[in-house]
Amino acid sequence: MKKRVTLTFPRRAVQMPVTYRLAKDFNVATNIIRAQVAPNQVGKLVVELLGDIDEMDAAIEWMRSQDITVSLASREILIDEESCVDCGLCTGVCPTQALILDPDTYQLKFTRSRCVVCEQCIPACPVQAISTNF
Amino acid sequence: MLRTVAEINEKIQQQKAVVLTVEELKARVQEVGVTQTTQEVDVITTGTFEPMESTGAIFNLGHTDPPIKIRQCWLEGVPAYAGLGAVDLYLGATVMAEYGGLGDAEESRLNTVLPERGGGHVIEDLIAGKPVQLRALGQVTDCYPRPSFETTITRDTINQFYLFNPRNLYQNFIVGVNGGDRTLYTYLGPLYPRLGNAVYSNPGAISPLFNDPQLEIIGIGTKIFLGGGIGYITWEGTQHFPLQKRLPNETPIGPAATLAVIGDAKQMTPQWVRGCYFKNYGASIMLGVGVPLPVLNEQVVAHAAIQDQDIVAPVVDFSIPRRVRPTFGLVSYAHLKSGQIKIDGQMVRTAPLASIRLSRQVALELKQWISLGQFTLTEPVAPIPGDRTFLPQDRWGSQRASE
Ligand code: SF4
Ligand code: SF4
Repeated sequence: MKKRVTLTFPRRAVQMPVTYRLAKDFNVATNIIRAQVAPNQVGKLVVELLGDIDEMDAAIEWMRSQDITVSLASREILIDEESCVDCGLCTGVCPTQALILDPDTYQLKFTRSRCVVCEQCIPACPVQAISTNF
Repeated sequence: MLRTVAEINEKIQQQKAVVLTVEELKARVQEVGVTQTTQEVDVITTGTFEPMESTGAIFNLGHTDPPIKIRQCWLEGVPAYAGLGAVDLYLGATVMAEYGGLGDAEESRLNTVLPERGGGHVIEDLIAGKPVQLRALGQVTDCYPRPSFETTITRDTINQFYLFNPRNLYQNFIVGVNGGDRTLYTYLGPLYPRLGNAVYSNPGAISPLFNDPQLEIIGIGTKIFLGGGIGYITWEGTQHFPLQKRLPNETPIGPAATLAVIGDAKQMTPQWVRGCYFKNYGASIMLGVGVPLPVLNEQVVAHAAIQDQDIVAPVVDFSIPRRVRPTFGLVSYAHLKSGQIKIDGQMVRTAPLASIRLSRQVALELKQWISLGQFTLTEPVAPIPGDRTFLPQDRWGSQRASE
């Protein structure tokens, strides 16, 4: 199964080859969706974990034992439908077509499952209708 | 002539006028042709909802006691122009809190709280009936002894409050792309490098002025839908350029005619007047504007039957910040609306900037007003000039030298 999580690394864990350990010790594949990691700083990774449910839970347990904060509620894009004017500007910068205009109604359509939370749409919106939940 | 405006108005008042939105009209012409459609239809409604920078509000505060002659003024930290009568103010849509302020502590507080707001947002707030903080400095004279004034205003505590927009309703515009190697922040939103995206800002064949390409039926005095209230066309707009090159169907191949309009902001609704902000470019305003076209003869219908595949816009490279930017040629609105265009052999995503959904809704709303007998048509009192050139601003003498 698949699980999207946000990992926050303390400074010293940044150097650790986490994805390698997850694959080797737990048979869990990691698909990195967004990364904010620099040497000697608190790092953040949004990843999609892929594997057997028990092994995935064990992997999460192990990461927590390494002082990595594992948050299951990952960052999500929110669209304020009241503010949105359906101008479509965000659809031109979205790399995954998570945002498209309906070809008949020209209403904005957001497909959450396609969104990789790259956040490029946020500054593109002229009426500030797009935000993240945290 | 088949019908006169007076005859149409009589039908409107009896709620018997046949009104179609411009999209319904285009579909009808495809079905039954121009001649029959002309027989059937009295009025066509068109609309657009898009950013229109050259927009602003005039308002009169009423006199204070003792009176003040306002010379500098801020609304929510956004400066308004005060070089008119003592308490007459003009607030432009693109002015921002960061510029032209006092630079005092209060100002910088406002800037940190509201960095992405400008005149357009203040106009929207006033139209929505929200309270707006006003600060004014006066020139002390015998008539006007008061040096400063602070208050909170709403649209109900000021006298006249109307939009007076020097340039709205562009007849066609451009498509922006970026052939450079860094992201550009423009009035069309972010343009990604290496032709990463393309933005077009005109809603195409439904846009009002594409449907009366030579401005033969609309003119000064034409009554319109402006921001959810009633407005009028008052003049040619700034940068009005009717001499733009045209296709055989008379539509221009780039930015052409523009109109100045006026309308009572006290009747307007925030749904149709929206402050907006383009990252690293600045504040602006999005407006809903609708124009009715009386079906006086077959030519009106023939012009309004135009489709997205019949009209084009130039693809302009913003990476060269000059007055005349290089273009990648012309592209049809049908291609633009398909979501992709081909530039230099590369497929490029396209996105609109005008809201096509809300543009349609303006046309629908205006149709409803007319069908219910609430909105009658006016005949223009003077035509919009058709022979304006568009002068560049060069240093004195250079034009002469190049002659
Ligand atoms: S965050 Fe990125 S992927 Fe998600 S909708 Fe916005 S632009 Fe598209
Ligand atoms: S850019 Fe903003 S207003 Fe425009 S369609 Fe996207 S979310 Fe809506």
